[in-house]
Amino acid sequence: MPAKRKSEFRKVMKKYWTNGTAVLGTCLLFFFIVIAIFAPQIAGVNEMGDNYQIPRASWSSKPIPPSAEHPFGVIGGRDVFYGVVWGTRTAFRLGLIITGFAALIGVIVGSISAYFGGWVDEILMRITDIFLSIPFLVAAMVMTTILGKGLDKVIIALIIFGWMSTARLIRGNILQAREEQYVLAAKALGQKDWVIIIKHILPNTIFPVVVQMSMRIGSYVITAAGLSFLGVGAEPGYADWGTILSFSRNWMTMLDQSWFAIVFPGTAMVLFVLAWNLVGDALRDIFDPRMRS
Amino acid sequence: MDEKKALLQVEDLRTYFHTEDGVVKAVDGVTFEVFPGETLGIVGESGCGKSVTSLSIMRLLDEKGEIAGGKIFFDDQDIMAIPESKMMKIRGNDMAMIFQEPMTALNPVFTIGFQIMEAILLHQDVDEKQARKLAIEMLKKVGIPEPEKRIDEYPHELSGGMRQRAMIAMSLSCNPKLLFADEPTTALDVTIQAQILELMKSLQDQYGMALVMITHDLGVIAEMAQRVVVMYAGKVVEYADVHTLFKNPRHPYTWGLMNAIPKLDEDKEVLYNIPGVVPDPLDFPEGCRFNTRCPLATDKCQKEEPPLVEIENEHTAACWHIDKLIETIKVSRAGETA
Repeated sequence: MPAKRKSEFRKVMKKYWTNGTAVLGTCLLFFFIVIAIFAPQIAGVNEMGDNYQIPRASWSSKPIPPSAEHPFGVIGGRDVFYGVVWGTRTAFRLGLIITGFAALIGVIVGSISAYFGGWVDEILMRITDIFLSIPFLVAAMVMTTILGKGLDKVIIALIIFGWMSTARLIRGNILQAREEQYVLAAKALGQKDWVIIIKHILPNTIFPVVVQMSMRIGSYVITAAGLSFLGVGAEPGYADWGTILSFSRNWMTMLDQSWFAIVFPGTAMVLFVLAWNLVGDALRDIFDPRMRS
Repeated sequence: MDEKKALLQVEDLRTYFHTEDGVVKAVDGVTFEVFPGETLGIVGESGCGKSVTSLSIMRLLDEKGEIAGGKIFFDDQDIMAIPESKMMKIRGNDMAMIFQEPMTALNPVFTIGFQIMEAILLHQDVDEKQARKLAIEMLKKVGIPEPEKRIDEYPHELSGGMRQRAMIAMSLSCNPKLLFADEPTTALDVTIQAQILELMKSLQDQYGMALVMITHDLGVIAEMAQRVVVMYAGKVVEYADVHTLFKNPRHPYTWGLMNAIPKLDEDKEVLYNIPGVVPDPLDFPEGCRFNTRCPLATDKCQKEEPPLVEIENEHTAACWHIDKLIETIKVSRAGETA
């Protein structure tokens, strides 16, 4: 059995590595992981203490274009290179924590709703509808305004308004899978209900959630950056891609002087989102045996 | 046949579904028995309640379905009275089922070996290694080539016929006394159908289990069954052994079904079909449920429901106009031979 399993695994891996977009996504993601791990070696540390505070490079608010000393330039007195490199860590933290908790809440709410059905389903789904009916960005802004500034508040706000689509997805999938004949067949074999849910229904329903999760990691980073840009996100000076963008807000009419403050963190964000999307696609191909062959 | 003890005895079974539009009487007073080792065929159009009958017997109805009346005895046990935990032990072990669509009845994310082993591990006291061995053995028995290799394949990697074989292996892995086959060959092409039927026959000989063959195909019935229940709109309309049924059908519906089969020695442009459609189960006609489509129907048929009566030994039918039917058949057959 182990020998057989291994060859199956190898077959999948071989398929994965011959898929161009999957390789590109994995490489990109790996690149970001390396940058996040070696941030102190790449961009140095903040001698003043907190590494997640971008050290001041100048006391003038005037942007300084890229130079040997500041490869990505300086905006708002902060070194953009330092911010982009250390911001990678922030991006991972934001994306993984928000998606992880939002998906967990979503899966719990969705499965309870689908499994119990009836009025439980009705109540939970109406609550989900209420959350969905509030525009996401507005809700997140209001939340962060109430909770106060800071990255942790952004995370909480985005979790509170980020679980609904997962809940709906898993509920729909379970309802659909419950009617499948293999569930009836498993019952006809004398299998217990909860074993059927865990063994037969969840494996058939969880893949879309995993794929959705990986794709949303990127988009949450963008949303968090949007909140920072609007001034309700991380504190000014925090090593976060959105914070750097918010510095450039005052210089938007003078792009010839401040382009680097948009281009570098912006590129980092685009590539980050792209990486997760490609990996998400590849994950679906790996996990779902129906997509093989 | 009364001396022999029935393995399964179904008496006046009624299964109702409570829907938003009203009560659907999917099965409305069905009686039959199955003896050990024999094959009983249940024939009828789609929606006549044949599948629901088997699901009721296995107690696999969903929340909307309810057994509203009747008795089911299996192997001296009152199926309606035993607790669910005991029923779970019976399912798969003593009573098993194979389904129409082998694609959807196998879980797409697990290998067929895993699924066969699940059944074995559930009911037999063996470890995983032995279960795997048994699963390979089962696959060999159902005629899957290279079972050692196939056992680790996923359902989508197998052809339709192979999947149905795997499904049969799964349901027979615990050597059940009774197997329900719900349209097991409908989704397969004709050559594969014959192979699967042949396989089921030989496995039945080997294991000695009783088989309930649910189908709309009289050809399958002629091939497989010893006795036949003909169902129409939730009711048994005729019940006889297979030779009697084909030779002397005593219900216009059975006769209609037989007429609808194309014959090799005839050159017909248009095949016979029974006019009309199966009545809406929410609104069955009064009297005989077949009266809307029956060529022999009279006023009596619209008002009074014909009882299921024994017309000769072991042959029952529910029709007011059996004599008229006999006459019609005689005329028609005379025309054929002329």
